[in-house]
Amino acid sequence: MPSENPFQDPLRFERRVPECVVVIFGANGDLTKRKLMPALYRLAYDRRLAAGFAVVGISRTPMTDDAFREKMREAVQQFSEATTLDEEVWKAFADGLFYVAGDIGDPELYRKAGQRLAEIETYHHTGGNVLFYLSTQPSQYARAALGIGAAGLGTGNGWRRLVVEKPFGHNLASARELSGELHKVFDESDVYRIDHYLGKETVQNILAFRFGNGIFEPLWNRRYVNSVQITGAESIGVEGRGAYYQEAGALDDMIQNHLLQVMATIAMEPSASFRAPSVRDERSKLLRSIRPMTPDEVRQNTVSGQYGPARIGGQDVPGFRQEPGVNPQAQTNTYAAVAFFVENWRWAGVPFYVRTGKRLPKRVTEIAIHFNPAPLHIFDQDGAASAPNLLIVRIQPEEGISLKFLSKRPGAGMTLRPVSMDFNYGSSFGERSPSAYETLLLDAIIGDATLYTRQDMVEASWAVVEPIQNMWRETKCEFPNYAAGTWGPAAADEMLARRGHTWRKP
Amino acid sequence: MGATVAPETVLKQLAELWVSTGKEEQGEDGTGVLRACTMTLVVLAEESDDAQSLGETLAALMPEHPARAIVIRLRGAGERALTERVYSQCWMPFGQRRQICCEQVELTASDAALGDLPSVVLPLAVPDLPLILWCRSARLAGMAEFWPLAAMAHKVIVDSAAMGDSLPRTALERVAETNRRGILVGDLSWTRLTRWREMLAQVFENQENLARLAKISSVELECGSRFYVSALYLGIWVNNCLADAGGRTAARRGEGRITLDESGVSLRVRLAGEGLTVELARQGDRMIATVNGVSQCTNLPPPSEYLLMREELGIVRRDPVFEKTLASAARPAYPTGK
Repeated sequence: MPSENPFQDPLRFERRVPECVVVIFGANGDLTKRKLMPALYRLAYDRRLAAGFAVVGISRTPMTDDAFREKMREAVQQFSEATTLDEEVWKAFADGLFYVAGDIGDPELYRKAGQRLAEIETYHHTGGNVLFYLSTQPSQYARAALGIGAAGLGTGNGWRRLVVEKPFGHNLASARELSGELHKVFDESDVYRIDHYLGKETVQNILAFRFGNGIFEPLWNRRYVNSVQITGAESIGVEGRGAYYQEAGALDDMIQNHLLQVMATIAMEPSASFRAPSVRDERSKLLRSIRPMTPDEVRQNTVSGQYGPARIGGQDVPGFRQEPGVNPQAQTNTYAAVAFFVENWRWAGVPFYVRTGKRLPKRVTEIAIHFNPAPLHIFDQDGAASAPNLLIVRIQPEEGISLKFLSKRPGAGMTLRPVSMDFNYGSSFGERSPSAYETLLLDAIIGDATLYTRQDMVEASWAVVEPIQNMWRETKCEFPNYAAGTWGPAAADEMLARRGHTWRKP
Repeated sequence: MGATVAPETVLKQLAELWVSTGKEEQGEDGTGVLRACTMTLVVLAEESDDAQSLGETLAALMPEHPARAIVIRLRGAGERALTERVYSQCWMPFGQRRQICCEQVELTASDAALGDLPSVVLPLAVPDLPLILWCRSARLAGMAEFWPLAAMAHKVIVDSAAMGDSLPRTALERVAETNRRGILVGDLSWTRLTRWREMLAQVFENQENLARLAKISSVELECGSRFYVSALYLGIWVNNCLADAGGRTAARRGEGRITLDESGVSLRVRLAGEGLTVELARQGDRMIATVNGVSQCTNLPPPSEYLLMREELGIVRRDPVFEKTLASAARPAYPTGK
């Protein structure tokens, strides 16, 4: 038997995708309908899935296979972006959709699921490969993993992998505890902790930009970089998730995972190769190099905020405490700004300002790298013209990279003005970018964990965030401290002003 | 009709074009235009070629492969003529405020002026970026004047199915000759097969199917005349892969066969052996893959010229699988039903 598939042509073909079954726990939930199923259907539409691909949906609601298929069809029609539902493709895809009802704590569920998997393996020739996807309440993660293990489904003829959605614990101890439970059934190498930010094209493009070009890396250090700002702003409020959000807050919901991962990508050392262990090692090293703060440093280098009511565009917008399901005295942070410092030779002394918030003026995620000014001002520059060189990596909504620099204004005299050189990902390449879930699901099926978060990375993030969490929990804040539709509390501006910096207004 | 073109003048016109486009597009918000370029794309087309269709293909290619396009229209025999025209191709990406523009130069040349083309094209090529020559003219591909132009290119793209040769193998021999001269070559007849080859490869990602690969004993192809060259490539490629896998090379033993359906536009390939039958067949806009009786239907949009060129422009490097297939295909060895 040949060990390699002789028909493969890596130069022209997409990556190889093995046959497998994806088992989704929480198949009746929002994430499945909005993200997972549209992403899987799109992969099928693009011929990216193997012929025998199948999905087993698991949830408590009793439902037949056909009812599940119909529900998923509606979800794909409603939530697919830039993809129309092709009847023939859908029919072939839907033939591989199955459903098992049951309670996650009930061993009977796993017995029935095991029976289904055995049937599918026989008829769909999936080789025993199974990807378990936990799209349930985080409190159910450990029970689901242990249930899989107790029923003997954690091992089989092929590979078995587990995808876990964030949050990975709510502090360092609970993250360790969760990992411990998952490891009773799955090796760490088979646990895929998904952070959809890392699946975004532009976040991946940071690696291409930094390590595919020779001209930027020499500037990528404390000698040339003055400060870095990472913004993850949302214009919406909690949108009916008030009860959940008041337990989490902006720091846990965004900074601990998404934004620290983005920071790790922008600041990590070059990896020896583009293999998963190498890239993840470097990302992990960077996270472990972030200095955990003392209580005094937390007071100096962090700001929490909560939005109050305002009128935006002629419409009254409630404050966080007026949102449905939210405690009117809630101390939840809907805004968080932190100045992190990385303790290594490359970044010592360079502040990484990270901020996120709800009900900010616009939805934007970007990284702005502020370079040091020219050492000597030989031109007669006014304030506006002495603007620093900025390299801006836009992650959403308009993915791209801009470089701002000074140029001579045409005409007599030597007047400078800032100009922007833009690379727009969407318009420079006309091709549709895959959604983050398409990228990440395919990676998990292929077994490429490069864009997934490893246990040590999760723990390193919590180690950095936990001192802030603890301090904020002990402090009673005067909330609300910013009006909806503004760029956050004044204290955040003051925090930067102390170092002679100002927040960029994206 | 002029008889000379000064590259310096064309370059000056291009510079002026950018200044005027910038002024025209400088909106109230000062957004302006964005210039993008990743290559020089030289297109050789007969004057009788559908200009609108070619223009649409180039326009579709530009967002993904922004280029300085130099379209050379061939006027054929007659009075010596060589003229130029410069214009820009702009588009506004959906949801964006800024136009993206690429520059285009159109040269018209009669046969008598063909020898002058390299000296015009060379200075017009964008420095430091690859030059791709897309030859849509079967006539020019057979003329001596083709080679100096091909020699300037990093890659030459042709379509052997459109070369007008009565025998497909003659067309393949001409493509192979380009390759033998050390020029990277792409053939759209091969590109048409990518999705087919990918689907076949996917079948053998299954370990059970891979284990039966060595037992494949027959390879059958059925095609409409439009896909004859592609079918030839497909058959050779399958056999090369089977040989690489140490299997019984069906075609060499006379068991592989291409059946030509003169009127149809079908394409079907069937591999059969002990315990495994794999068939890929086109049905309208879809491909039906059947493995041991179990069928799967996938969306297979018609491979428009734009889609084919988009793939080829993405590969400006050696393509070992294609080169090996081309070298085998240019040899008379494969039995056909024609």
